[in-house]
Amino acid sequence: MEVSITGARIYFEIPILGGIPITETIVNSWLVMLAIIGLCLFLTHDLKVRNVSKRQVVAEMFVTTAQNFVNTNMGEKFAHYGPFVAALFASSLLSNLLSLIGMFPPTSDLSTTLAWAVLVFVLITATKIRTSGVLGYMKGFTQPIFVLTPFNILSELATPISMAFRHFGNIVSGGVISALVYAALASLSSLVLGLLPGVLGDILSHIPIFQVGIPAVLSVYFDLFSGFMQAFIFCMLTTLYIGNAAEE
Amino acid sequence: MENFESLVSVAPWEFIFTICNLLILTWAVKHFLFNRVNQVLEERRAQVETTYAEADEAKTSAEQMKQEYETRMASAKEEAASLVKEATQRAQDRSDEILGAARAEASAMKAKAESDIAAERRKAAGELKNEISGIALSIAGKVVEKEIDADTHKALIDDFIDNLGDAS
Repeated sequence: MEVSITGARIYFEIPILGGIPITETIVNSWLVMLAIIGLCLFLTHDLKVRNVSKRQVVAEMFVTTAQNFVNTNMGEKFAHYGPFVAALFASSLLSNLLSLIGMFPPTSDLSTTLAWAVLVFVLITATKIRTSGVLGYMKGFTQPIFVLTPFNILSELATPISMAFRHFGNIVSGGVISALVYAALASLSSLVLGLLPGVLGDILSHIPIFQVGIPAVLSVYFDLFSGFMQAFIFCMLTTLYIGNAAEE
Repeated sequence: MENFESLVSVAPWEFIFTICNLLILTWAVKHFLFNRVNQVLEERRAQVETTYAEADEAKTSAEQMKQEYETRMASAKEEAASLVKEATQRAQDRSDEILGAARAEASAMKAKAESDIAAERRKAAGELKNEISGIALSIAGKVVEKEIDADTHKALIDDFIDNLGDAS
């Protein structure tokens, strides 16, 4: 039995600019986007000041929770980051949860998480430069002593890379382990059921019965828990890094 | 034959798309969720503030009314007390006046009675004196059997009785 673990499926290429590949990552992230925008539109339909609907309560809870999270981690002056962090968290979470319904999670593609991490890195750097000026930003690398400059640059560059790989690694490892477990259970089931005599054994050994139920236990951890945790950690780091960048 | 990307790879177009997607999504979340919900929250906050202000105003005016009422009650009590005091004073004055008048009348009556008694007494004494002197004259006349100069003897007897009366 052969198990192949690959990245995103490439559906087709748009033959412009040297070929733009349309992959599962892109399609699924668009689906996630559409889902989030649809959810926003659904939740904020017919908002009222009094006698609010359950839907509106959920919408208000989302907004206030996100805003509190941002205000707590970054301070009041970064309150305008609320929508960005909320969008980041929602896309990360929904992307991670796509694996629950057997779809390819865009976050198990390094391109996605690295893009987010680089965007966050740009925001961190922009905040630092806005806080202490270009010279102050440069000078920050020579602190506390000049000798540490290379290490400071390394640690600065490590920030987006570690963020990207942490998220990517956690999600992709879940996918890899799930694929391995599914394959193993298929082999085991054909091996065990193949022991049955006659035609019954021939038929049943082609049906991977053991795949029913057992992977769900792993799914609770890898898809639900890990998916939520990684989205939360990514947003937590984003807010803390940007918040810290303003304090120097 | 399907094409796959390798497991760990960075595809430039995906990278660019993802950044664009996140920025667009940020805008959408801000526009469709945050702005709308925040607007409602702000409206609600404003309404609550208005309600509180109105409640405060009502409370202030109620307290003012209460104070006014208390002031009025206090002044009414004071007025009532002064009325009662005045009435009491007037009654006291009146009773004093009546008592004084009664006392004066009684003492006048007593004085008159006393003077009447004295007059009666004098009158009785006079009459008694006359009678006694008459009796004495007639007794003396009978005793001496002769004409006594009535006028001379009457003066003597009167003098005697007067002395007698003074001594008694």
